[in-house]
This record gives sequence, structure tokens and C-alpha cells, in this order.
Amino acid sequence: MKKFPFEKSNQSQTPHFDEVLQQLKESKDFTCFTVGIKHDTLCISYFNTLIDTNILHRDLLPYLNKSSSTLYDAVQALPIENLLFTQKPADVQNHLLIGYISITVEGNNDQAVLVKADSQLSRTVSLPEVEFSVIGPKESLVESLDTNLHLIRKRLPIQELKVEVLTVGKLSKSRVALLHIDGICNQKNVSTVIQRISNLDVKQIIDSSYIAQMIADKKNSPFPQFIDTERPDRLAAVLGEGKLVILVDGAPHGLLGPATLVEFFTASEDYFINWTMASFFRLVRFFAVLFSILITPIYVAILTYHYELLPKNLINTLVISRSGIPFPPILEALVLELVIELLREAGARLPTKVGQTIGIVGGIVIGTASVEAGLTSNVLLIIVALSALASFTTPVYQMGNTIRLIRFPFLFMAYYIGILGVAISFCFMLIHLLRITTLGRPYLEPLYPPKLESLKDSLIRLPLTYLSKRPASKHEE
Amino acid sequence: MINKNEQISPFLVFFLVLKVQMGIGVLGFQRIIIKSAGNDSWIAVILAGLLFSIVIWCMLTLLNLHKQNLMGIHTQLFGKVLGGILNIIWISYWLFMGIAVYRTYVEVVQAWMFPQINVLTFSIVFALLIYYTVSGGFQVITGICFLGVIIPSYLILTIFFPLEYTDFRNLLPVWNHSYKEIALATKNMSLSYLGISTLLMYFPLIKQQKKANKWAQLANIITTLSYLLLIIVSIGFYSENQISRYVWATLSFWSIVQVPFVERFEYIGIATWVIFILPNICLFIWAATKGASVLFNVAPNKITMLYLVILIVVSLSLKNRDQINTFLNYMSYTGFYLYTVYIPILLCLSFIMKKKEVMHEN
Repeated sequence: MKKFPFEKSNQSQTPHFDEVLQQLKESKDFTCFTVGIKHDTLCISYFNTLIDTNILHRDLLPYLNKSSSTLYDAVQALPIENLLFTQKPADVQNHLLIGYISITVEGNNDQAVLVKADSQLSRTVSLPEVEFSVIGPKESLVESLDTNLHLIRKRLPIQELKVEVLTVGKLSKSRVALLHIDGICNQKNVSTVIQRISNLDVKQIIDSSYIAQMIADKKNSPFPQFIDTERPDRLAAVLGEGKLVILVDGAPHGLLGPATLVEFFTASEDYFINWTMASFFRLVRFFAVLFSILITPIYVAILTYHYELLPKNLINTLVISRSGIPFPPILEALVLELVIELLREAGARLPTKVGQTIGIVGGIVIGTASVEAGLTSNVLLIIVALSALASFTTPVYQMGNTIRLIRFPFLFMAYYIGILGVAISFCFMLIHLLRITTLGRPYLEPLYPPKLESLKDSLIRLPLTYLSKRPASKHEE
Repeated sequence: MINKNEQISPFLVFFLVLKVQMGIGVLGFQRIIIKSAGNDSWIAVILAGLLFSIVIWCMLTLLNLHKQNLMGIHTQLFGKVLGGILNIIWISYWLFMGIAVYRTYVEVVQAWMFPQINVLTFSIVFALLIYYTVSGGFQVITGICFLGVIIPSYLILTIFFPLEYTDFRNLLPVWNHSYKEIALATKNMSLSYLGISTLLMYFPLIKQQKKANKWAQLANIITTLSYLLLIIVSIGFYSENQISRYVWATLSFWSIVQVPFVERFEYIGIATWVIFILPNICLFIWAATKGASVLFNVAPNKITMLYLVILIVVSLSLKNRDQINTFLNYMSYTGFYLYTVYIPILLCLSFIMKKKEVMHEN
């Protein structure tokens, strides 16, 4: 990775306080002014864009003891709980850059005092938008790490909840917090994750998804290996199951891992409703996913090779809807799948209100028109629309993306050898899933290796009283 | 020496054994045994099951005695050279068993779905699938064995469709065939049970090896029961003359399955069979790979690649039903003698050797 000029100067011969301040003065938003005390001149410096000037005016300047002779005496009376005393110029620089005020004595390089005065500008806690649920808590994470930690810690007021903070990114210096509950979480996972995060050699961490991609076991797999959630209640709940939570400053989404395949199909709401309904909805979701992956390839397979697979009445319907369509089934299906992707992509990029209009125009107008023009069969239109709808049933957004992507290899294999191709692609997918591990644990757990204890909360969810024991997979050391 | 992550729980042995025993044979074992034992074939199925129960016992006793896999046992008992030759025999046996299963499946596909299928391209796709599985290690193979039992298990429900047309009086009179005919049928039946020998390779990877016997025997019982169910329904459903003309009697069952949205159920069945036989092939190829990589000290992935090239070449060179049948017969006989003669002899030899060692020590 490329070295930046400032890093070099950081590491070379330690500069004096004055030199540090001189360098920082090159920025126009850096302020430095002097205040005279008995013998010396105090130099107060800060970035006016980073600090809360109220603190400066209210708590710092009125309380500076101007009659004292030393720096130490001068700051004694400040009504601020912890003052940092440092002798390292590098420290001064780093702290100034995150919203501290430094007080130094002009011409003296012995000591500097650092006062925390960063302005806490952040969005207020609001409703979850991606994972909205009718029942249950309505708070969602925000961009500020401290607020997020607060949201989680107030749900788990125990001393075993440990927070580890690492700084990642040469440019962004992002704070990455790692949460786990001591005694429940596997200590090996904690050290693995810390190891992987501290080994990251990147310029910027803009969002938690950067971390998720870079510390995954199998980076080339389309399957996500960390669950991305904006609900603090979900994070608190899984911490209790012995999982790790990663929060990144500036990211309104937390990561939780190790995550297995079935957990991507569980929604927070599953735990807020009666277990019979929760189990039913989960099964519906699994069915929807299988349907979404397989139905278009099966359509292509049947209409390319196996007309005889369907009963006479059903095939009549299909043939009538396809009569006069000038394309082979694979082309028809591919075009329609791509149209759906196009609509989704356009909908995702546009502002909400325009997006809705585009959805209606695309879905209804283009769909109906293309059937009437004889470009696609209406049966396929129904199938593709249904499978797109089904792919949106996954509670974790990223899994929906994966499902839409892996449908395409299935389509091509179906075109190659019909239903056999679908079966072969399905085997490829199964083996891929078997090969994935998340933090060293099998991804398909508890389906394989089978764990009866954890099966209670997988494809179905049994009553909460049965779930009181933690899933077996988690407390193994 | 053995990586703990590679080890599997003893109950997974159940799936490994069940999977490898019930492979391609399920689709068409009926004709071969009904040919010689007629309506008494079900006795042959039970006898073959019992025979393999003994074979499993022999194998596990042998393995528990030595606490290592077959390759190790050979080297220990016969030294490097003779042991090496025996190892090569077993390795090629496993490799060709894998090929036999694969080629039989391709034949089914050719006969029922795609008569004009390009065997070369299909084999390349399938070889990639096998490579992807085998290179994932033993855990992945066990996983696919497990799923290969669970996922296709819905097919057992299809047995209810022919029941409507079965006449169980076909089973009578019981025992109207000679001992010789039943013995012959038992021997022919054994091809459908073969494959259990891979246990000789993965035994050291099982945790708590003492428990393995229970699960392996249970798997054998389930296999026997499934075959028994199939053969009884087959005897009741087909007449003896009819079945001699059906190469794939089980597939013909599926022809009469009727569901509102599926007309020809055998297509679904054959497609599901991919996941049924894939673990089978992979386990054989894995055993052969593991053996050869230890023997010749070569990276396992290279050996797997070589095997897959052999698989493609052999599959291409076996062109018609007769050749495949001859090939299967050879494999079946080799297997039969390897299991029923070679393994017991090896067990006796190792007992004698152990005794000698003990006497020597005293």
C-alpha cells in the first residue's frame, strides 16, 4: 500500500509542539491564539470545525487561572473531568484531529494539556427503515458509535459485556468496536476477529460492510457471512446467544457473526409473535427462496427439453401463452430477469417518490405491453415477477441480493441440460454452502453438522420457553 | 497427525454407510436377482444384508485392532512392496467403482432423458462438480452424504403409487427355488451393497470409533429394509417375465406416479438422483485419492484431477449397454471376492500377527 507523506513525518524525528501547530495552521479551520499568564504565554489551539465552541467559551476560558506561573496550575480549576497531560507532539496532533483543544506553553516543549471538546453532532435515534417490524422495539442504530454503544449497553446492563475498540484505516481512522459477552462468547472467535481487523491494511473504512467483506472466511463467496442489521434489539439478543457484534463509527448498521445460513432467514419479528406463526412464516420464507431460485430455471428446462414432464392440461396453457413468441425460452427468461433487475436497480438509485412511479411504470406498463406485443409469455411474466417478489422475503437485505445473483447460473445450466442441469447447479450450491465456514464454524449448521438443540430455532421456531438454553453450537469452546 | 477439524461424529457413519450402499443399484437391482431366484428374491436380499452385516463386523474388528486405515494395515502386515501392490489394487478398485457408478448414471440419463447427450461435455461438468466436492475435504463429503440421504428421502413416498396395482400373491409359493439359485441371487445382489469398503479409509477420521459399529450396522439394516421393500413391491407389481425386460425396474415404478402438475415423474426422480449418487462417487474418488496421495506422496488435488481424467476417458470408451454391463459384472465379482474372501483373510492374518507379537513380548 502507498505511503502518505504525513505518515513519514509522523514516524520520523519527533517534532516540537510548535512545529506540529505550524503544520496544522496550514488548514484554514485551525485556530490558535495566545493567552498570557504570569510569566509565559499559553497557546490554545483547536480545529473550530471539530470542537463544540460552547465548551471553549463556557468551561475553558473563564476558568483559566491567569495569575498562575505554570501550565499545570493554570488548568487546575477547569471544570472538566479528565484532562490529558502529554509530552508527545504526535499525541497532540492526533487528539487535535479528533476534536480536542490543546493548551501549550509557547517556547516550552515539556508538556501539553488536551481538553476533550468534540461536538457531538449526530442524527437522533429513529425508526428502523430496512428491518421495520410492526411489533417490537422501534429504535435503530445511528452513525455515532457512542450512541450505538449506548443503545446496546442499556439493553444489557451487565459487567460481562465487553467492548474492544480498534482504530482502522490510514485516512479515516475509523473506530471499530467489538462487543461480546464474556463467558458466553467463544474466546477464540474474539481473538480471531481482533486479529483479522487489526491486520486490515486499508485507507478508509466508510461503513461496517467494508469490515464484513474484508474479514469474511470465504471472500469470494456470494453468500454473506456476517448479518448486517440496524436493530439494536437484535444485536443485544444475539450477544446473549454468544455471538460477536462489530460496530463501526459512522455506520448505522452493526455486524453480527458468526452467522449461519438459517440465521439469514430469521427476522426479529419472529420472536415477537407466537411460535406457531413464527414457524409458519419461516417456512414460507424458505419456500420462497427455493421457489425464487428454481422456478425460472425449471420453466426454461421444461420448455426447452421436457414438454412431456407436464400433464396435458398444464402444457396446453403454457403452449398457448408461448405461441407466437419469437424467442427461445432461455432468451425470453433472461431478458425478463434482466428487466426485473433493471427495475430494481433503477428503483434503488432513485429518490423514493420517483422510484415508486418507476416501479409502477416498469412493472405494470412494460410488463403488460410486452405480453401484448408478443415478446414474452404471460406465464413467464408471472413466474419472474413472483420469483423477484419471493427473493425480497429474506429479512437480511444482502441475502436477497445473493439469491437474485445465483439464479443466473441455474438458468444457463437449465438451458444446457434441462432439469438435470438444475439438479447439478443445486448440487454445486449445496457443496459451496458446505465449504463455507464463518469464523471457522460450518455455514450450514445446524442442518449440517446436525445439532438437534439448535434445530429448535432454525427452520422453525419453537416456543420461547424451549429456547431458554442457548443453541448448542455457540457455547462450545 | 489427524486434524481435529476433519473428524466426524460417529452417528454420521450411518449416513456415510447408507449413502454408499444405496447408490445406483436401487434403480435396477430387481432384474438381476429375479432372473435366478424369481419370487424368492426377497430371501436373497435378506441374506445379502446379513452377509454384509458380517462383512461390516469384520472390517470394524480389523480396523479397531490396528487403529489405522487399510493402507497402514497393509504396510504393517506385508511390508512396503507387497503392501504397496495390495494398496494399488484397492485404490484402483475404488476408482473404478466410482467410475462404474458414474457411467451407470450416465446410461440412465441416456436411456430415459437425453439419448443424444454429449457424454464428453456432460462428464466435464460432472467432473468439475466431483472435483469441487472432493477438494473440499472429508467434512464436505460427509456433508453431501448427509444431505444426499435427507434430500432425496421424499422419493420413498413414491412407493405408495404402485401399491395400488400390486398383487402380493405373486410372492407365493415361498421357497420354490433351490439353494443354489438363491445363493446365486445373493451373490448377484451384493453389487447393490458394495461400497462399504470406503469405511476402511475414513475410519481413523471418526471420533469415538467404538460407536461406529452400531451406526454402520444400523445403516446396513436400513439399506436391507429399503431393498426388501422395493423387491417385494416389484415382485407384486411386475410379472417375472415382465421384469426380465426392465433394466431399471424402480424407474419404471415412477412412470405410473401421477401428481396434478407432473406427468412423467421419472424425470424428477432422475434429476434428484444426481444428489443421490454424487456423494457415492465422491466418496469412492476420495478414498482412492487419499490412498494414492499417501502411497505416492503427491498432492491430493493433483491425483483427483488425474482420476477425473480417467473417469472421463473410461466413460467415453464404454459405449453401449453390453460393455457397461460387462464392466459392472467385473466390478461386482471383484468386489464380492474382495469383501467376502479378502477381508476375512486379512482379519485372520492380523489376529495371528497380533498373537505372535504378544507371544514375542512375553
